[in-house]
Amino acid sequence: MGNILEIKNLSVSIEGSGGKVQAVRDVSLSLREGEVLAIVGESGCGKSMLCKSIMHLLPKSAGIESGSIIVNGMDISHYTEREMRKLRGKLFSMIFQDPMTVLDPTMTVGAQIEEAVIHSNRKLSRTQRHRRVIELMELVGIERAEERYKLYPYNFSGGMRQRSVMAMALAGNPRILLADEPTTALDVTIQAQIIDLLRDIQQKLNTATILVSHDLGVVARAADRVAIMYAGKIVEIGTAEEIYYDPRHPYTWGLMRSLPAFSKGQDKLNTIPGMPPTLIDPPKGDSFACRNQYALAIDYEEAPPMFKVSDTHYAATWLLDPRAPKIERPVGGRLNGSVLT
Amino acid sequence: MNYKKSKLLYYGSKLLIFIVSVFVLSLLVFYVSRLAPGDPLLSYYGERVEKMSVEEKNIAREKLGLNEPIYIQYGKWLKGAVQGDFGISYKYKQDVLEVISQRALNTLILGGIGYILIFLGALALGIICAWNEDKWIDKLLCKLGTFSCCIPEFWYSLLLILIFCVSLRWLPSSGAYSIGKSGDIGDRILHLILPMAVVLLNHPWYYGYMVRNKLLDETRADYVLLGKSKGQSKAKIMFAHCLRNIMPSYISLMAISVPHVIGGTYIAETVFAYPGLGTLSYESAKFADYNMLMVLCIMTGIVVIFFNMIGQIINERIDPRIRGMESLEGLEVSES
Amino acid sequence: MAVSLLKVENLSHSFKLTKKLSIMAVKNVSFDIRHGEILGLVGESGSGKSTIARCVMNIYKNQAGRIIFDGIDCTDKAEFKAGKKKLQRERQLIFQDNASSLNQRMKVCDIIAEPMRIHHIKPKHGTYLDEAAFQLKYVGMDESYLNKYPSELSGGQRQRVAIARAVSMEPKLLVADEPIASLDVSIQAQIINLFKHLRAEHGFSILFIAHDLSMVRYLCDRVGVMYRGNLVELAATEELYLNPLHPYTKALMSAIPIPDPILEKSRKRIDFDNISYSPSGKFTEVLPGHFVLN
Repeated sequence: MGNILEIKNLSVSIEGSGGKVQAVRDVSLSLREGEVLAIVGESGCGKSMLCKSIMHLLPKSAGIESGSIIVNGMDISHYTEREMRKLRGKLFSMIFQDPMTVLDPTMTVGAQIEEAVIHSNRKLSRTQRHRRVIELMELVGIERAEERYKLYPYNFSGGMRQRSVMAMALAGNPRILLADEPTTALDVTIQAQIIDLLRDIQQKLNTATILVSHDLGVVARAADRVAIMYAGKIVEIGTAEEIYYDPRHPYTWGLMRSLPAFSKGQDKLNTIPGMPPTLIDPPKGDSFACRNQYALAIDYEEAPPMFKVSDTHYAATWLLDPRAPKIERPVGGRLNGSVLT
Repeated sequence: MNYKKSKLLYYGSKLLIFIVSVFVLSLLVFYVSRLAPGDPLLSYYGERVEKMSVEEKNIAREKLGLNEPIYIQYGKWLKGAVQGDFGISYKYKQDVLEVISQRALNTLILGGIGYILIFLGALALGIICAWNEDKWIDKLLCKLGTFSCCIPEFWYSLLLILIFCVSLRWLPSSGAYSIGKSGDIGDRILHLILPMAVVLLNHPWYYGYMVRNKLLDETRADYVLLGKSKGQSKAKIMFAHCLRNIMPSYISLMAISVPHVIGGTYIAETVFAYPGLGTLSYESAKFADYNMLMVLCIMTGIVVIFFNMIGQIINERIDPRIRGMESLEGLEVSES
Repeated sequence: MAVSLLKVENLSHSFKLTKKLSIMAVKNVSFDIRHGEILGLVGESGSGKSTIARCVMNIYKNQAGRIIFDGIDCTDKAEFKAGKKKLQRERQLIFQDNASSLNQRMKVCDIIAEPMRIHHIKPKHGTYLDEAAFQLKYVGMDESYLNKYPSELSGGQRQRVAIARAVSMEPKLLVADEPIASLDVSIQAQIINLFKHLRAEHGFSILFIAHDLSMVRYLCDRVGVMYRGNLVELAATEELYLNPLHPYTKALMSAIPIPDPILEKSRKRIDFDNISYSPSGKFTEVLPGHFVLN
């Protein structure tokens, strides 16, 4: 299984009123064919910017500073808009957080999916196109597709709209699907359905998927691998089992422990004290140090490199340095049945 | 069935409002025109008035029906008007409608073509600016627009006359055609250039600016991002989505702006002595040509009210709250 | 059993869309909140949770049913008028969108002191400024924030300020409408802890509206489930989570994500047929303290 997407030392910055915000800092990661990689982090950690920079959908004020994005063997980090257009929809496509606003309100859902179909294959006849749209709508679980083809977005519920967006994203049989917080704006029951659908599609079409979320709980159901992002950097990456059962980075511990499932029966929920740093002028050393109760002196001086835990599991914390004191991880391991019930 | 009935009621109420508005307008114009200074006899008899004795004037007034109380005058006028008789023009001593019909075409040409060009131009301007957002062409056009629409029309007119008629002697400065050439289309076009230029230099800018801003709002919408990620080109997104979505409000803007453009046309006509309704209204107000003034005001009023209503109807049609009604399929909608 | 602080009886509320059409946002909902209790209200968006909150706060004009707060019938005009001052002080509302519920042009200290000024309450800790500082400390922020504007604060801090403002009136009932929905996970936990702390210190009753079911489970004593304007199930928290009876509640519970990949991937979701289901029936007590609509 090869890597379909490889990001190397990518840095993205946004020109803001207060200065240059370093939204993504020196991020490297790879996406294997047909896997679901979840990127988890708090708002402002750069996860969404990372996603958008792959598609070259960054806002005007933002730009790629350095690094390379290698898709299918091509470095696309310097591609022009025209070159990117040929790739979008076919090689990769994206679904967004708010399905209420990403659809054009004045165009029928069918017509909007059809636009994506046209882009993916210009040679299709009108009836072929129509058939393909219906096929896509059925693929993403929109029932009575023929009937719903002619409806406008405002006739659709949130979950249905997200499905429609997914149908558009899948029109060109993309190899990579980028899902930017696809369930955040949806209700709990719908959220579970969409996550299941994502998993389903990935298994049916073997689409490699990047699933961005702020909620560790949500991605557990779909992710093969998980990357934890903090302050523009990836602080830990590993298979889902490794991250959930054997987390190594103090920030991952903090994120996990603040889930209520881990505080059951306790008087207080565990929290991470303080707030993420601003990325206009990131602190020296480890940017998590000031919120980290396990911080070492070196954390304030020098940013930790990625330490290898296993072949698939890496974490950027000095705690993994052989010279560091041994610390019992406060969270992780299989949940016992009590959480389920 | 019920739906049809409510629609009928809707348009019925609009029509009623329309009729009442026109009636009130006529009443108002009738009273105000008679309150305003000016002697209608002057327009009827010309300079002879100065030689007339008080008695003669009185007889003349009696003849024109100007000595009766205003409400009786209005009643008589209304009675005639309903039958299609709007009286005669004191100045031209002809039936008012006849005088107007001779001139209406000129205004229709100037105003109509001007109107179309203004809104096509504004749309083009808006698109060019939005497309090149914050580039030099956008900045230049926006600055130029602010500058250009701040200059009053009459001043523009004088400037253009000074340049093209006085200094360069390229274009005629007044009238709709040269004497004896009323059928010559080329000559008419030549006469049309300057008044049209004034109208066009003044109006399209702010409409263009509105188009620009609305388009930019649209291009910030999330669906543009989705369109891009689908692989659509900027042009496709701009024209198939953004422009399409601002069209309803643009069309209603067009409807609401009719009076504005009419006003502009009238001013241009007056300055260039272009024989249209604008000059006519100006004259009739100046010379207290009551009957003429009434018809012109009411005509203009009808056009204004009518287009305002059209604008309103378009706006109500595209109001998302009304459109959104159908989206409540999940919720229980009950009639109360 | 303690006497209820708030009693809502057969509350219904509808919104007018046009002259002829209206939608029922809340239908025949009854529940009560006891002294010192945190009652959670969960349900999908548009299920009428916020409408209930606003009805309880008398923001919406009462249409049908009764709302009795601490012995005062808020739906009775005369009684409402007589107890208006008390009602305004003792019920406080916290919104989801803290950015727009705080006046952007007011400093934090003025925001917190404003309700006290309006009600001419003499501050307990000296001046209004001192009182504001005390309240701010109480919600976990230091004095240095007193002179800042809401735009200079983070979402979590703004929510703390909103809570401080509400708490400064020493209310009996706090109505929190999705207070954590727009916050990050770690900040959510901080705010939840704050609510828990406040309840322990002050003994407020809280009506807590949220859609994050695991947070609700952690915080609330009892939970009600809303579906399309109906309260379909109401029970003590653990009872509801362990033994959901209504089909919608069952689907809801099965959709709560569990942070354990192996467990979560092997778990089956219970689907809920929302198209053919239409809520009807009577709200009855099937088990002690466990009410279901069926």
